[in-house]
Amino acid sequence: MKKIFIMCAAIAVIMSTSSCTKLNVPVESQYVQSNFPTTDADYTALLGTIYANLSSSYAVPYWRMQDMSTDEAILPARDGNFDDGGQYRQLHYHSWTFDHPNVIGVWQWGFGGINTCNRIISVINASSSTAAKKASSVAEVRAMRALYLYFMMDLYGNVPIITDFPVTTQPTNQPRAKVYDFIESELKAVLPLLPAKSSNAATNVGQYGRPTKGMVFALLAKMYLNSGVYTGTNRYQETVTMCDSVQTNTNYFLDARYRDIFLPTNGPGVNETIFAVPYDQQIPGNQFTRFGFFYYLVQAYGFNVGLSIAMSTTPEFYNRFNIPGDDRSKTWLAGPQFYPDGNGGFTNQPVYYPAPNATKQINIIPTLTLTGLKPMDLGNDVVTSQSEGVRSIKYYPDINIIQATRLNSNDVPVFRLADIYLMKAEAILRGAAPTTINGDAQTPLTLVNKLRTRAHADAATSIDLDGLLDERARELSWEAWRRNDLIRYGLFEKEYPLPVAGGKTDDLKMNTDPTRRLYPIPSTELKTNPNLKQNPGY
Amino acid sequence: MEKHYRSIFRLWQRSGKTICAFVLMFVASSVAFAQQRTIKGTVTDETNLPLPGVVVTVKSTGKATSTTANGIYQVVVSGPDDVIKFTFLGSLPKEVTVGDKKVVNVTMVTDTKQLKDVVVIGYGTASRKDVTGAITSVKADEFNQGVLTTPAELLQGKVAGLNITKSGDPNKPPATVLRGPSTLRDGAAIQPFYVIDGVPGASIDLLAPADIESIDVLKDASSTAIYGSRAANGVIIVTTRRAKAGQTRLTYSAYGAVENVSKNIDVLTGDELRKYLTDNGVPKLSTADDDGSNTNWQKLAERTGYSQNHNLSYGGAGTNSEYGASVNYMKNNGILKNTSLERTIYKGYINQRFFNDRLKLGITLTNSVTKNNDIFQAQVLPGILFYLPTVGPFNADGTYKENYTRTGSGPLNPLSLINNNFIKTENNKTLINGFASVDILNGLKFTVSASTQKEQNNVNTYSTSQSGIYVNAGGVAVRSAYTNTSNVLEAYFNYDRVFGKHSLKLLGGYSYQQDRNNDGFGVQTQGFSNDALTYNFLALSNPTQLSQIIFNPNYISTLRQISFYARAQYQFSDKYLLQGSIREDGSSAFGVNHRHGYFPAASAGWKITNEDFMKSVPVISDLKLRAGYGVSGNSLGFDAFTAQLIYGVPPGGGKFLSNGNIVNPIGPVRNPNPDLKWESTATTNIGLDFGILNNRITGSVDYYIKKTSDLITTLQVSTTQYFYQYLTANVGKMKNTGIEVVINAIPVKSQAFTWRTSLNVSHNKNVVESLSQGNLALPYIQTAQLGGKGQSGNFSQIIQPGYALGTFDLWHYMGKNANGVSTFQKADGSVVATQPLTTDQFIKYDAQPKLIYGWSNSFFYKGFDLNFLVRGVYGNKILNGTLASLNNPADAKLQNIPRFTLGESFKDINAYLVSDRFLESGSYLRLDNATLGYTIKPHIQAIKSLRFYASGNNIFIITKYRGVDPEVNIGGLTPGIDNRDFYPKTRTFSLGMTASF
Repeated sequence: MKKIFIMCAAIAVIMSTSSCTKLNVPVESQYVQSNFPTTDADYTALLGTIYANLSSSYAVPYWRMQDMSTDEAILPARDGNFDDGGQYRQLHYHSWTFDHPNVIGVWQWGFGGINTCNRIISVINASSSTAAKKASSVAEVRAMRALYLYFMMDLYGNVPIITDFPVTTQPTNQPRAKVYDFIESELKAVLPLLPAKSSNAATNVGQYGRPTKGMVFALLAKMYLNSGVYTGTNRYQETVTMCDSVQTNTNYFLDARYRDIFLPTNGPGVNETIFAVPYDQQIPGNQFTRFGFFYYLVQAYGFNVGLSIAMSTTPEFYNRFNIPGDDRSKTWLAGPQFYPDGNGGFTNQPVYYPAPNATKQINIIPTLTLTGLKPMDLGNDVVTSQSEGVRSIKYYPDINIIQATRLNSNDVPVFRLADIYLMKAEAILRGAAPTTINGDAQTPLTLVNKLRTRAHADAATSIDLDGLLDERARELSWEAWRRNDLIRYGLFEKEYPLPVAGGKTDDLKMNTDPTRRLYPIPSTELKTNPNLKQNPGY
Repeated sequence: MEKHYRSIFRLWQRSGKTICAFVLMFVASSVAFAQQRTIKGTVTDETNLPLPGVVVTVKSTGKATSTTANGIYQVVVSGPDDVIKFTFLGSLPKEVTVGDKKVVNVTMVTDTKQLKDVVVIGYGTASRKDVTGAITSVKADEFNQGVLTTPAELLQGKVAGLNITKSGDPNKPPATVLRGPSTLRDGAAIQPFYVIDGVPGASIDLLAPADIESIDVLKDASSTAIYGSRAANGVIIVTTRRAKAGQTRLTYSAYGAVENVSKNIDVLTGDELRKYLTDNGVPKLSTADDDGSNTNWQKLAERTGYSQNHNLSYGGAGTNSEYGASVNYMKNNGILKNTSLERTIYKGYINQRFFNDRLKLGITLTNSVTKNNDIFQAQVLPGILFYLPTVGPFNADGTYKENYTRTGSGPLNPLSLINNNFIKTENNKTLINGFASVDILNGLKFTVSASTQKEQNNVNTYSTSQSGIYVNAGGVAVRSAYTNTSNVLEAYFNYDRVFGKHSLKLLGGYSYQQDRNNDGFGVQTQGFSNDALTYNFLALSNPTQLSQIIFNPNYISTLRQISFYARAQYQFSDKYLLQGSIREDGSSAFGVNHRHGYFPAASAGWKITNEDFMKSVPVISDLKLRAGYGVSGNSLGFDAFTAQLIYGVPPGGGKFLSNGNIVNPIGPVRNPNPDLKWESTATTNIGLDFGILNNRITGSVDYYIKKTSDLITTLQVSTTQYFYQYLTANVGKMKNTGIEVVINAIPVKSQAFTWRTSLNVSHNKNVVESLSQGNLALPYIQTAQLGGKGQSGNFSQIIQPGYALGTFDLWHYMGKNANGVSTFQKADGSVVATQPLTTDQFIKYDAQPKLIYGWSNSFFYKGFDLNFLVRGVYGNKILNGTLASLNNPADAKLQNIPRFTLGESFKDINAYLVSDRFLESGSYLRLDNATLGYTIKPHIQAIKSLRFYASGNNIFIITKYRGVDPEVNIGGLTPGIDNRDFYPKTRTFSLGMTASF
């Protein structure tokens, strides 16, 4: 009996000891607040989230919003395939809603990036690093935050300015001009603390894909050139100043071959890149080959994975590539197809369709003729419908592509020297005074001809604003600036209707309401944040 | 009494009070010395075997003894009017008036009714007539028979309100939904909570169906609340077979079964497809797509499945100890090639009583080894329907024929998929459970039970160099090995007392559970010189890129749950019953502010038949009214990190360039939610149990209202406020109301022939009441992405306040236009013959059945018994996504089409679009099980009984559903969807026998 009571007592004691009532369990295999970040490598990895996030959506969803809403890129359905809920035709016809997957996803991407930056700033400030190291790290993060916010301001206009984390009250929209001012002041504030491109290759490797003085100048140039759109006040002369600030650093210069800028092997070795988003088989986000290449050519280009058969450019856009000798025209695949020579050109060996058309040379038809049976649909016949649409090999296919991921390793430039030349040329054409830089008296014509010469294209004899827009199209095709350019030129609403088989007309028409120059605040954000107001027209 | 005295005597002896006790005992036993004489006898069971351990009580003196190992007893009676009472657990008690007999031999008869009347209620048992909650008990003789691998399958159709759906896949456990869905989560969150022989949360893989004695399903919260936060989906308590006191038993049972596919989808043959294409002006396909074959891919993938099961169990129980062991071997070959389930279970237990039965110690050891072979079902199941019948499986050189350039829904050779990609899983589980129970004082008992369950799970997959999934990869191997450990400690006091007309039962206890899961690793690599070693020697792989070596991102998750609970049961005058319980649960899964939850319950019962006024209504033999209210929680399916801020590689797995190196970024991947709290379900249950005509007809009616609040889901949040776009939070309320009716009757009962029948019908109505809480307000949640041509990203179901879970939100089909093209209604009311927009969807119907029913019958004639079960559901809808995507005339050059499509215009370019046209009735009635058995009871000592039976499962079905089978999963978040992944339903015939020695 006694023993039993002793046992009961013992059990009661065990039960009341802390180990049996404590709910905290050891964390063994996750980084949580108590064990992260602690080392320098932790902080590097933490900063990495800013860049990994950037690459995750820049070259597909963000790019689609900037280019597929224009004549530069189109993703027609093929007998219902690739209709994907209508998201691509909604971009084409400007009929997107606040439910559009890109409208939702890119907002989350951008503000996710901004909140990541804010959180990291607080983590850095709380760390035990030296004051100088903290200051330079914070400057880097603020510059990236400004870039994200610029993307958001460009797409959605009146977006919140968020500088703290966590956010105690739900943020409200700010007028676009105010967001513009904030970005400008941030960029100016961090400029002195950022590194400049050097002639040292190792230093450039370290800076590659990260903010530099050059990136800030280029972004400010972009802001000032579009200042009229963003704020109503033109700042063309300051555009020129910023373009010159980039050029003052002679470590930026045009590369000899246009093609090399976009190869899968591109990187810090490209001299004209000011800021690029690095991609790799392990840094996902670039899928230009998956969506924009022609499937039946894969073996001729030395790889073997299944691709989409959908994205191309429009005939209107392709027709601008009409200058004799222009290397930039070779970034497009149109007409009869031959094996590539591995050096930007082609052999005489034709590429054939698979059976049953094995004797037929692949022929890419620039015209996109709708069947009229389904919305923005070309049909799915191999030699006719599937072969319609000029494909791009600007981001040249990466032979390391694998079926599971279908990624390209080509880094995608955001700012490069050619854009600086064209921005300066445009600013001068719009009224700014020409300037001399590094002893070079630059006029719009000399600037344009620098690019023409590099591309082995016939030089221009004169240049006007319309010609400059076409030059931008040729030089910067599929580099995610077309929407920005068209809005600045007031041409974003220009229709380019698609022909329909049998002489009918397309049922769908572009929504030409200028309110479409801004994307709507996504439904998901309005639902979760009552302080956000929808943009006009939605 | 005598025993009791003896024990006191012995104790006192030890404490030196021998004389005193001796005197006391002498006085006590000498009171009724008058006409005493000795009676002897033997007690046997129905098979003439001597029964040891039968308690023999003399009524006049109250003295009791028990029979010896040979069933012999000897008592002293006070005269010819004295009565001897024989009692034995599980048998009908017997009383014999002595008269002038000197020898009284007795045969005890097994009381099947009494066995049925014991109900396991959680930390104790109760008599069925004293139960105040909604509990259904199913005993072994009522179980379904056939090739059944989980306890849930034994219950299919037997329990009102318990909806079980099972596919033909041997490796997939059935989905169970009790009284309608009560969560927005999936997976473990919708599983009922299993308690096996008192071990909460034990794995059902440790159970061989043949070892199960009974299953109790606790349905309402007043019953389940004692299990607190794990009980919202109901509690299923499994009790395994044990030897009865004084018995030894040896049982061998076995069956063999043949399984065939009960229905295939009627797709075209190669010749028919060729003709169809020619008739519609499609040019002849290339030899890559048409080599003149007539391949039936479904037949090629399927086979006749053979299954076998052997169970050997033995055990015994003496006066102070019980022991037993069993071995079960089961092999179930799936009807798809290369799929199988093989399981071996070993189990042994030994319990011993000490100190005159005041201390009982026991240990049970169970080990189960399960081996699964599986194929890549996600590719194979659509493949066998969609793949062109016009091509054969092989090239002339014997390699698998593929055409990688063909697009469409089934682009890879299904036979190659089956033979070149396989998944082998070996799961080894061990459960060790020890317990001690102590009778401290009269009526006060303390029980402590500790268990450790360890699970080793090894999953290996290999895709050969010929695999169409990994072309040119040289074989892809994935190996993973994980250990999961669960430790449970339960300690509780029971106090049972009767004071006159008052009866009181008290329970108080403590429970500790710690689950540590996912301790291990997994890795993928590729590039082998040949396929001979499959995944067995990864060191010989030759990955050419770093990205071809993939480490599984699984993490160790430790979850701890600590609970205190108490229950009081009070009975007055055997008429009025009251029960109340409370449980406090703490779980590390929840936010630091809400880790503890309180789950109270109260219920009452009124045994109306025991009232005096009922004596005048003899036709009513039993009538009891029950009412209860209780709250139970749901914390199933959470891990230790659900509410915490976690840093990891952000979704997408992308790396970044850091000074020329490619490295992992590390950032938060989960928002912390310190306010995350328990999902709780409050159930009100009112029930009536009745029996008429001396309980020839019995039954019960239950009405319930089940309200779940603080529903937890992972929702999208504003990234302008949160840093990660998903937050796991409490968001709303859901309600289920329903009624369950059970009627049992014995229409015929005679010496030779008996017919028992039982019908259960239940109706449930589910509605989502709200999706907003605090500052989170969701207008709706879209679910069920079926994919399909040009429809990826489209949702087919919607969760919206005012509607049931599983409500369909689809395009509205408006028939065909003059050209035979399918037309649809747009949101503005207009009708189009083109693909509508996602904003043109309409809410229509839901997947929740209005009625679920089961009707079982048993007939006994001499040694024969015949059982059959008819069950079904009524009033639910199924979205036949399989038919929709197959129905694609224009793609008939890329994929096969069903015969159904021959009725469509070839010009119908919209035929395949998922719309309400493919929303079909899911009602069905199935003759699910019929068993004919014959039992021999040879009158020899060696064999107690022999039973042979033949059984058929899924014998026929009546349904209008056009798919393979209407029994699609109606559990989870997206119920009622048949989308190209239906494992064929099977029909099984089995032959079996049971021998008891």
